[in-house]
Amino acid sequence: MNTAHWLAWCLLGQLIPAGPVELAHGTVTVGGEATITASSHDNIAFFNFTDYEHNALRMFRISVTGMWRPSARFAFVTELRSENAERMIPYALYARVRPWKTRPFDIQAGRIPPVFGAFGRRSYGADNPLIGYPLAYQYLTSLRPDAIPATADDLLFMRARGWRATYPVGVLTPAPGVPLVSAYRWDTGVEAHAEGRGLDVAGAITAGTLSNPRVGDDNGGRQLSGRIAVKPAIGLVLGVSAARGAFLTRALSDSYSPLNDGRDFTQTAIGFDAEYSRDYWIVRGEAIRSRWTLPAIAAPRIDGPLSADAAFVETRYRFTPRLYAAGRVDRLTFSKVEGARFFGGAPTSWDAPVTRLETGGGIYLQRNLTLRAIVQRDWRDGGRERTKTYVSGQLSYWF
Amino acid sequence: MRALAILLLTGVLAPAPAPVAGAIRGRVDVRVGPGGPEMRPDPGSLSMSASRDPQDRRRSVVYLETAPQPAFEVNEQRRGRMDQRDERFAPHVLAIVAGTWVDFPNDDRTYHNVFSLSKTKEFNLGRYAAGHSKAVRFERPGVVRVFCEIHSHMSGFILVFAHRYFAVTDDEGRYRLEGVPPGTYTVTVWNETIKGDPPKRTVTIGAAGGEADADFTIR
Repeated sequence: MNTAHWLAWCLLGQLIPAGPVELAHGTVTVGGEATITASSHDNIAFFNFTDYEHNALRMFRISVTGMWRPSARFAFVTELRSENAERMIPYALYARVRPWKTRPFDIQAGRIPPVFGAFGRRSYGADNPLIGYPLAYQYLTSLRPDAIPATADDLLFMRARGWRATYPVGVLTPAPGVPLVSAYRWDTGVEAHAEGRGLDVAGAITAGTLSNPRVGDDNGGRQLSGRIAVKPAIGLVLGVSAARGAFLTRALSDSYSPLNDGRDFTQTAIGFDAEYSRDYWIVRGEAIRSRWTLPAIAAPRIDGPLSADAAFVETRYRFTPRLYAAGRVDRLTFSKVEGARFFGGAPTSWDAPVTRLETGGGIYLQRNLTLRAIVQRDWRDGGRERTKTYVSGQLSYWF
Repeated sequence: MRALAILLLTGVLAPAPAPVAGAIRGRVDVRVGPGGPEMRPDPGSLSMSASRDPQDRRRSVVYLETAPQPAFEVNEQRRGRMDQRDERFAPHVLAIVAGTWVDFPNDDRTYHNVFSLSKTKEFNLGRYAAGHSKAVRFERPGVVRVFCEIHSHMSGFILVFAHRYFAVTDDEGRYRLEGVPPGTYTVTVWNETIKGDPPKRTVTIGAAGGEADADFTIR
């Protein structure tokens, strides 16, 4: 490092905060996170595209978090995010109340963190040892809440095209499908959380669903979700989650509910999560089953709910104070439907199953400045490009 | 010439009178308010974080910039202690002699993971539960900033000295350096809030020992 670089580094160190900034006599705390992620272009496979049509491996993301805590029992919390220098979006914006001073019971209302699963509540830059997201939280299936297939063939035609799905019923313009659980948007509603004696219980009523979190309700239906977690030993957390909510837009559900015995078109999900950490190891895993109920419109019909199963296990090991290695193995599968035009009418998974292996590591340049590099390999049973390897690097800073 | 040689020899060989050690005392007036708990806003949390008193940043360490040679001859095995309690390091500031082992007992109900990326000493103790303790030996002089990997608001300072002439200030900011041999010294103060050059004072301990005063103000 020459003198100019060294001076620039020192200047940067003086300018950027090392910890949260406090204002108004400590009642306001401001933090932040910035990640810049680079990888090769992906204009064919779209394995890492998000529901904002951004590539998770080619992204510049800034987030600013803030908390105003006028009293010990009341707080306003927010997180504003910008991806690829686009406008800041309120990812989180809610009020938090602790009604009883001595009881660990809290109510949060607004755009709130999900109670389902574990990954969705983690801080990306500080707590994701890799760069990519788990498939369940990022990979775009071909389902959309505002457009639906009329037949099983319409659905099969969209296999592995979740990044830009289009259907003959509903909104006709192509748009991204939904993941099982969106990690890029939080839902709006009210949640309650209580903990004690190794037990952690949370429940929420929100406007959207896990796949399609919303600020404004577009279907009049509510999602109920909850999670119970136990901590049988220090370092071990085991959680079970469930959620059920109206999935399709009001226009679609009003049109097709009468034709389907008044059925609700919902997303229902159940999940298991586990984390164990000890010494220099952290091991985490989640398994999620999601089911979407769609109208049966025309033959060959989509009989019964469409389901998807996702599971991943990730681990991180810190070799030295500065150096760690991490890996994640990930699998996403789908239930089968029978069409007429594709696959000879044989039962075929409604979207293309995906397997992902991501390995990499990181160096802590400072406590809050991390350089990461990963290799991600994806295998998909469908689409124009069925296997793809990505090499990605990331610089992540938080305060 | 012979007389000069005798004079020099007697001057060198004659038993010198034992130096009378003195003391340097004073007060460090830290006029900086207490720091925040350094807890980042955590939008992903489902519960209210516990309210914590602001971190007391008045603790300073006063030390001699250069010390008499015997001060470097510390042979006994020393041990220090920095607890992890209520998601804080206690004490927040610890001063030790190089070669000291410091124990980091976990007195909380949760995991902690003590680590440091300081140039003086890099270490990572990994995650360990309440009731357990791990120790680190600090061989080199310097400032070591200590963190917890799990609780980003936890931080502490360990100042490692090559000699034994240092003292951590008490609740009123007072300090006392005992057993200082006669001589002229530069007394320096360290405080976590000092951004630029630390304040210094020159003090002299006379041949007869006694006490010298050196007060500091940190704004």
